[in-house]
Amino acid sequence: MSGLYLFARIGETSVAIRTDEVEGVVRLRDLSPVPAVPGYVAGLAALRSRVLTMIDAAALIRGGKAEPRDYSEKGGLAVVCQLSGHSYGIMVEGVEDIQTVETPVLPVCGRVDDVWQPYVQGVIELDGKACFVVSLAAFLDGCVSASIAA
Amino acid sequence: MDELLSEFVAETKESLEALASVVVALEADPSDRKLLDELFRFFHTVKGSCGFLNLPRFERLSHAAEDVLSDIRAGTATPDPATISAVLSVMDRIAELCAAVETGEALPDGNDEQLIQSLRNSHERAQTASPDAAPVAAPAVEGQIRPTSVARTIRLPLALIDQLMNGVSDMVLSRNELARRLRESDANPELETSFDRLSGCIADMRDMISKTRMQRVDRLFMAIPRVVRDLSRDLGKSIDLTIDGGEVEMDREMVEMVIDPLTHIVRNSIDHGLETPTERLRAGKPVTGQLRISAHQSGSHIVIEVADDGRGIAIESVVAKVVASGIMSSQEASQLSEQAKADLVFMPGLSTAQTVTSVSGRGVGMDVVRANIERIGGAVSLTNEPGKGLVVSMRVPLTLTIISGLILKAGGLSFAIPRAAVVEILHDNNPTVSVTRLGGGLTATIRNMRYSMIDLEEVIGLPKVERPGPRSLMIVRSTTGKPYILGVSHVENNEELVIRPAAPVVMAAGIYAGMTLPDNGHPMLLLDASGIARAAELPLISELVDPGDGDEAGDKACPDTYSGLRFTELTGEERVIRLSLVERVEDIPADCFGGPDDRLHVRIGERLVSCVSHVNRADLPMSSKEITCLRIRDDIRELCYPVHSVLDISEVPAKLDMVSSRGVTAGLVLLDERQIEVVDGLAVLAGGSDRDNQARAARCIIADADDLWNREILAPLLAQAGYQVIWGTDTAPEPDDVVILGSCEAVPVAAGEVVRIRREAEPQGPDDMSVYRYDRHALLEKIFTLGERRSVA
Repeated sequence: MSGLYLFARIGETSVAIRTDEVEGVVRLRDLSPVPAVPGYVAGLAALRSRVLTMIDAAALIRGGKAEPRDYSEKGGLAVVCQLSGHSYGIMVEGVEDIQTVETPVLPVCGRVDDVWQPYVQGVIELDGKACFVVSLAAFLDGCVSASIAA
Repeated sequence: MDELLSEFVAETKESLEALASVVVALEADPSDRKLLDELFRFFHTVKGSCGFLNLPRFERLSHAAEDVLSDIRAGTATPDPATISAVLSVMDRIAELCAAVETGEALPDGNDEQLIQSLRNSHERAQTASPDAAPVAAPAVEGQIRPTSVARTIRLPLALIDQLMNGVSDMVLSRNELARRLRESDANPELETSFDRLSGCIADMRDMISKTRMQRVDRLFMAIPRVVRDLSRDLGKSIDLTIDGGEVEMDREMVEMVIDPLTHIVRNSIDHGLETPTERLRAGKPVTGQLRISAHQSGSHIVIEVADDGRGIAIESVVAKVVASGIMSSQEASQLSEQAKADLVFMPGLSTAQTVTSVSGRGVGMDVVRANIERIGGAVSLTNEPGKGLVVSMRVPLTLTIISGLILKAGGLSFAIPRAAVVEILHDNNPTVSVTRLGGGLTATIRNMRYSMIDLEEVIGLPKVERPGPRSLMIVRSTTGKPYILGVSHVENNEELVIRPAAPVVMAAGIYAGMTLPDNGHPMLLLDASGIARAAELPLISELVDPGDGDEAGDKACPDTYSGLRFTELTGEERVIRLSLVERVEDIPADCFGGPDDRLHVRIGERLVSCVSHVNRADLPMSSKEITCLRIRDDIRELCYPVHSVLDISEVPAKLDMVSSRGVTAGLVLLDERQIEVVDGLAVLAGGSDRDNQARAARCIIADADDLWNREILAPLLAQAGYQVIWGTDTAPEPDDVVILGSCEAVPVAAGEVVRIRREAEPQGPDDMSVYRYDRHALLEKIFTLGERRSVA
């Protein structure tokens, strides 16, 4: 599973996202809040004439254990993607790099925090630093199952 | 008709194009069931459409091919290459015929029978499973250049329209951005003028692009009457068709997706549902079957219903069929609920018709219907009443539908709500409104109606934002039919909104119907009125309370202002009327209006109520389903005042800023720095015709009830003049009554007016004040003067 990866930080953790899932990375401001939905839905944002549903990935992973950050004013970096006809922006804390990784994806070693369990597909190393390989689709599936559970 | 035909041709050609790949695949693997099904549906659709377009050659060809494919599907024949190629040559012929129909030239010569025969031959060989059947050569078609007809329409890929639409939305957003920048910079009139022009162009363009996507459901219903007429004639059934809700707008794509399923359902209803006149008589039903097709918008969906009063689905025979075809064991089937059993008609390859007809049959309809509707994210459901009728309802999403929405504020956020869901908007300081909180639950009483009430902030879990001015209460329709009150901070404005589906995680909240990006570029959520009622667990009551409770707040406004209802006339003027004169505001179905221009009447329940005299029949928007009416009344008269729309309730200064009594207006006042005409209550009420109200009390007693002339000629005449006719002398006449007697009957003691009617042409003596019964003039005059005297009194 070598290929081009986007390296980002979610919840103080380094992650790598396959770029074929990613449409782009944008900095968005002026999120319109969505009341009466789980806290990890950071709001709606307009990207030109598209409306993105913004997901606070860190809040989703922590599963409501921490207060979601308030993005509505200052905005933040979002990875834009499209899944089953809906456009999403996954809020990340920072984007570090885009790089081709030739080494295969390694299995996860060590006891990973439970909250990461559903989202992690493996580990790859970049310049000797390990990153979780995550799929945006898994985050969005996580949204749906979390909202059903709630 | 031309439009239908060209549509059929375009669709058939489109399907043929799409099927090209299927054909290739099918030649490679003739046993592929899925491909066969697709091919079969194509022929079925062609057969169905050309039946009512009167294209017998298409019909014969597709029917033959359908027969063969049906046997293959049923497994009684094997699809050998010869059969397949024969089927394909039929397809080619259909394509040729299509091209000919399109350019309007004579249909190409070609022996269809020969094709059909070769199809049958190879099919029979296939049934005897002879594998070495020779392929049938399709007749060679000479490649000739056909004159192309004048193209009046073109078909575009929807993706292109979507791109256009997105492009225009981007343009609008950057225009708004530019406008903001321009406002911030120093004024430059020239720049602003050219910007305004650009801005206007963009707005026009957006309207046009939006229109390319939207279509009235009318178009969907266009072909239906013809289908019904032809089918009912073919099948010897008598059918009364009602079509309702054609003004609902839906996405062009949706309309196209729904046409075929709808046609299938209608055909099924006529063929299988509605009985023949003799059967109906035997079942004790009216001879004419009822078929009702309606469309309405329900939250984020459009619901299209086809209801018939036929025999419904015979559940037992459906179950028997399913069991016989081996899809399900009888034990499994017996465990299903009645609804689930009825839903078995959606199974592929199942038909409840006893015989296969060329109209419908083979049960292909329902599984195609379901497949097509589900593909666009909709759902089909049945309400089956065996022996009484069947309602098939299709719910299709409103995706990309443009709706007229109200933008409102609550908890500091903006939301949109479909205009159609809102019956009325009032301020909470309106004297006719009282809100009470009991054990946490809110009840609002508006003009003697009690409603459940909920504040939107409570539903979305946000604190109320303090702002000056009253809060707005919206009377909102919900799917249960009972309106409730939604309290919001305030209602901002009305905007045309393009609704997009919201992400599942947002929809899961249950109170949103979608999202939208208004011109300001800030995304907004569309509220789902029914969803809010469900989420808030409102009991959804609304009932009349004893009048008197709510009245004390009513008319005690301070003397220099009064509460006025602002509204727009049908003719467009904005006017204001004293709220105390308006008993209520009501949406009345347009078909309840009737009567001649100068005496327009509205049927309300069992009564006729006069309309105000200055509203002409021609002004009524008869195309809309409901007309908003103000119900005006004082202690004597009651009138109906049709208006275009109700705007708001304001405090109106009692003193007019300009007195100019003209027609129904008394003058002008300034409200919010606008001149608004004030309706003169007296003029409105005085202008109304109240003959009906008064005459209702007037009784006319005709002594001789057995007389045929009295009964058949005189009584209708009197009734027309507004009298209540009472027969016989048993009723003691009151002084106000008019008594009509023959020439020799005795006058009852207390009779008031007495009119004698004689049979002889000449008076019988100098004292004879009776009226000759054929003297039409004298008779009418007599009756009329009595009526006049009464209304003066």
